[in-house]
Amino acid sequence: MNPSPLMLAIVTDAFGGRGGMAQYNRDFLGALAETGAVSSITVLPRYAPDPFALPERIQQTPARPGRIGYSVAALQTALLRRVDLIFCGHLFMAPLAAVIARLKRAKLIVQTHGIEAWSRPSKAQRSALEAADLVLCVSRHTRAAVLSWAATAPERVLVVPDTVREAFTPGDGSTQRTRLGLEGKRILLTVGRMDSGERYKGQDCVIAAIPELVTKGHDIYYLVVGEGADRSRLEALAREAGLSNRVRFLGHVGLPTLVEIYRTSDLFVMPSTGEGFGVAFLEAMASGTPALGLGVAGATDALADGQLGTLVAENDLPCAVARLLAAPRPDTQALAAAVRARFGREKFAVSARAALNRLMQASSV
Amino acid sequence: MCGINGIFAYHSASSAPQETELLATREAMRARGPDGSGAWWSMDRRCGLGHRRLSIIDLSDRASQPMPSEDGCFVIAFNGEIYNYPQVRVELEADGARFRTTSDTEALLHLYAHYGAGMVRRLRGMFAFAIWDRARRGLFLARDPYGVKPLYTANDGWMFRFASQVKALLAGGHISRDPEPAGIVGFHLFGSLPEPFTLYRDIRALPAGHTQWVDAAGPREPEPFSNLADVLAKSAANPAPAAEIPERVRAGVLDSVRAHLLADVEVGIFLSAGVDSGALLGCMRDVGQREIRAITLAFEEFHGSSEDEAPLAARVCEHYGAHHIVRPLRKREFFEDLPAILEAMDQPSIDGVNTWFVSKAAKEAGLKVAISGLGGDELLAGYPSFLDVPRWHRRFGPFAAMPGAGFLARKVMAVVAPAFSRATPKALGVLEYSRSWAGTYLLRRGLFLPHELPEVMDADMAREGLRRLRPLHRLAANLKPDPGSDVARVCVLESAQYMRNQLLRDADWAGMAHSLEIRVPLVDFTLLRALAPVIPVLSPGAGKAALTNAPTLPLPDEIATRAKTGFSVPTGDWMNAAIGRGLEPAGRASDPKGLVSRRWSRAVLNSMAPTDAQPQLHAS
Repeated sequence: MNPSPLMLAIVTDAFGGRGGMAQYNRDFLGALAETGAVSSITVLPRYAPDPFALPERIQQTPARPGRIGYSVAALQTALLRRVDLIFCGHLFMAPLAAVIARLKRAKLIVQTHGIEAWSRPSKAQRSALEAADLVLCVSRHTRAAVLSWAATAPERVLVVPDTVREAFTPGDGSTQRTRLGLEGKRILLTVGRMDSGERYKGQDCVIAAIPELVTKGHDIYYLVVGEGADRSRLEALAREAGLSNRVRFLGHVGLPTLVEIYRTSDLFVMPSTGEGFGVAFLEAMASGTPALGLGVAGATDALADGQLGTLVAENDLPCAVARLLAAPRPDTQALAAAVRARFGREKFAVSARAALNRLMQASSV
Repeated sequence: MCGINGIFAYHSASSAPQETELLATREAMRARGPDGSGAWWSMDRRCGLGHRRLSIIDLSDRASQPMPSEDGCFVIAFNGEIYNYPQVRVELEADGARFRTTSDTEALLHLYAHYGAGMVRRLRGMFAFAIWDRARRGLFLARDPYGVKPLYTANDGWMFRFASQVKALLAGGHISRDPEPAGIVGFHLFGSLPEPFTLYRDIRALPAGHTQWVDAAGPREPEPFSNLADVLAKSAANPAPAAEIPERVRAGVLDSVRAHLLADVEVGIFLSAGVDSGALLGCMRDVGQREIRAITLAFEEFHGSSEDEAPLAARVCEHYGAHHIVRPLRKREFFEDLPAILEAMDQPSIDGVNTWFVSKAAKEAGLKVAISGLGGDELLAGYPSFLDVPRWHRRFGPFAAMPGAGFLARKVMAVVAPAFSRATPKALGVLEYSRSWAGTYLLRRGLFLPHELPEVMDADMAREGLRRLRPLHRLAANLKPDPGSDVARVCVLESAQYMRNQLLRDADWAGMAHSLEIRVPLVDFTLLRALAPVIPVLSPGAGKAALTNAPTLPLPDEIATRAKTGFSVPTGDWMNAAIGRGLEPAGRASDPKGLVSRRWSRAVLNSMAPTDAQPQLHAS
C-alpha cells in the first residue's frame, strides 16, 4: 500500500454533524489527517446540518440524506479517484463500504460504536464486517460484542476509545450556579440525549432516588442537559414525584455553558445501561467533577474500571450518590490530568495512528 | 517444563495490571512447577511476567525465571526444553555472547538479542515462551512447531494476558467465561478442542509453530514459522527409495533420543508392550544411558490374560537391562481419582486417563522426566487411518462429488433403515464427506459428524459454531502445500489434528498435574525432516518394522508380532461405568468404543463447561 494513502470516509455524519458519532468521526479523521497518517481524506456524509470548518487534508462532499442517492454518489466518488483506504463510520453502511472496497481493491476499516453492534446484525452487515481488514470499537464491551457474532480474527478488532475535547477543563462555574439560583445546594448532573426508543441513559433512576436522598438531608438539585422525545415523560416523572423544582431540564446548551455546568456540578451521574463508551463521563471528569455510573457496557471504560470514577450496581445507586456527596471534592486538576493521561487528544491520536499502522504493516506482510 | 504467565497493559487507556492477578494465575499452575516461582515487572509496571519452575537443566537459583538478559534489555518466561541448546550455546559464544548460567533459558535470551523473531528457526525442542523487549516496548511469544507445549492468550482490547493453561487464565479473575461455539462444536466433532479455539471466546491458543508480537496497538495476528505439510511437500518431489527406510529411521530416532536425554536429572520412560516405547528404550541404551527406569501400568482386569502388557514389557526391560516398575491399577482407583482428573484436565478431552495414571506412577517413583513413545503412529503410518482414509477417499469420493448425493442417501437411509442410521451414524456420512481428504479424515476420526450436531447440542450454537470453526476448511488448510502422497497427507492430518489437539494436550495436563515432564522423541521436527523423503514410500508395517530394528539390539520378536494385533485398555469400560454414576445413563457394556466416547465426551463437557452456557450445550 502507498505509505501515505488516500482515504474515503463513508459516514452518516462528521463535520457539521451532531452527536457522539459525528464527534468521534471528526476526532478520528482529524487525528489521521493531522498526524499525516493519510495524505488526504474525502468524507461522504449523509447529514451535515451545522456550519463547519475542515482541517487540512480533509474534503467533504455535500450531504446526501437519501440512501439510494447516497449510495450512487458514494460509488461515483469512489470510481472517479484513487482510493487506498475506506473508513466506514457505521455498521449499517458497511455493506456499501465493502462493495466499494472490493471494487477499488482498497483496505476496509469499519468503525463500531455502541448498541448498533451489540446484537447480531443482518447477514449483509456481518459479512461486510467480516471482510474488513480492521474493525475499530470505542470500548472493550463493544469489541466483545462484535467478536460474539463476527467470525473475524480478534487481532483485527482494536479499541480506539473516545477522546475528550480540550474545552473541558477545571475552573470556575459559579456563574451558572448563580444563574440557576443553586448557591449552597448539591447539584447532580446528567448530560445525554433523551431518546424515547432507547431510554437507557437512566435519568429516571436518578429522579426516583432523589426523594429518599432529600429525606436523608441531602439538599439535592438535579440538572438534566440534552434534548429528545423522552423529555416529556421524564418531566412528568419529576412532577409526579413532587420534584418539579428540584429537577431542572435545561435542554440543549452551548459549549461554554456546558463546560461551566460541568464545573459547578457536585456529581455527574449517568446510570446508563447502553453506553457505547460514554464520553459525557470524560467531559465531566475533565472538568474536575467526579462521575458515577453503572458497571455496565462502555461506562466501565470511560470510568476506567472504577479508577477514574465510581461504578456501582443499579440497586446501590442512591447509597453511592449519598456517599460521594458526603466525600470531599477530589483534587480537580489531578482528576482532569488523570482523564487526559488515558483519554486525552494526544493519546487518541497515538491510538488512531497505531491502528492505521497495524493495518498497513499487515498489508505489507 | 514449567508454567508461565504474563499480563501486558498495552493500551494507554488501560489501568496497570494487578500483582494479585499475576500471582493468582501463576499459582493456579503450581503443579507445573513446584521447585520455585518468580515474578517480574517492567519499570513502569505495565508488563508483568510470572513463572513456576520445574528444574530440569541447571538446577541452581541462577537459572530462576523470569530471567533478564545481562543488560536488562530482554526478560523471558519460558516453558519447555531446547534440545540443541549445547550447539546453540557454542555458536553464540563464538559470536561473543557471554553466559552466566548453564540453562537453555539464557540461550533463548541471547538468540533473541542476535536474531530477533527469526531465532525460532534455530530451535530444536518443545517450547512456549514470552520475551519482553524493553526497547521496542513489546512482547514476543512463540510456540514450538508441533505444539508440544501449550500457550494460551486473552486480549480484551486494552490488556493482553497469556498462560500455559486455560484454567490458570480464568483463575486470574478478569477474563470472561462466555462460551466459544467453535470450541464446543470442535469438541463434539473431535473429542478435543481444535486450536486456536478453547471453551471460552476470549481465550485462544497461540497455534503451534507460530510467533506473536504484542505492542501498543495490541497483539498482531500470529505468524507461522514452520509447517508440517511444507516439509513433506518438499521431499515429495524427491522421495528416497524404500530401501533407505531402515537406516533413516535408525539414524533419525537415535539422534532424536540422544537429544531428548539432555537433562540434569534422571530421565525415565513410559513402557508399554508396543514397538514405539520399546524401541525408544533400546535407543536410550544405545546412546549411553546405563540406568533406566521404565514404568508400565498393569490393569487388574487383564491380569493373567493376553491383554496384560506387563509381562511383555518386563521382557523388553530384561532385554535392554532396564529397571522395570510395574504399577498395578484397579478400577477403584480410577473412580477415586476421577474428580482430580477432571480438575486437572485443562480443556475437555475424551482421553488422557492412561497418561494420568502412568504419570502418577512415574512421580511415585521419584521421576521428574519421562520419555514417551507418543507420535510413533503419526510419523510411521501406524494407524489404520493410513489405509482407510486414502481407500475411502478413492472409493467413495467420486460418488460424493455428485451434488446432493450424500445428503440424499443419508435422508433416504434414515427413513428406510432408521435402526441402522442410529447404530452406525458415520456410515451414512460416507457419501457426504469422502469427497475431500479433509472430509474423509473427519469421517474416519470424528466423534460426531457436522450434520449430527443439532441433535446433540443446541441447534443455534451448533450452526454458529460450525460457521466459526469451518472444520473442513480448517483441516484442509493443514494440507497446504499438498504433502504429495497418501501417507504424507494422513501423516499431516493425524499430526496436526489428533496428535496436537488430543494426545499432546493430554500429555501436558496429565503429566503436569504430577509435576512430570513428558518428552516425545518421535515428535521432533528434525526427525520429521530426516524421515520426510521416505514417508511417501512407507508401506503398511514398514515404518514400525524399521523402528523395531532401530536399536543395535533389535526388539524381541514377540513384541513385533504381538504389537500387530494391538492392545486394549479397560479405561473405556471404566469411563462408561463412570457416566452411569454421573450425569448420563451408561450405555451397554457391549457398545462400540465410538459410542462410549460420544457419551463420555458429553459427560466431560457437562462437568467443565461454563455454567451459563449449560443450557446451550446439549439438546434438551
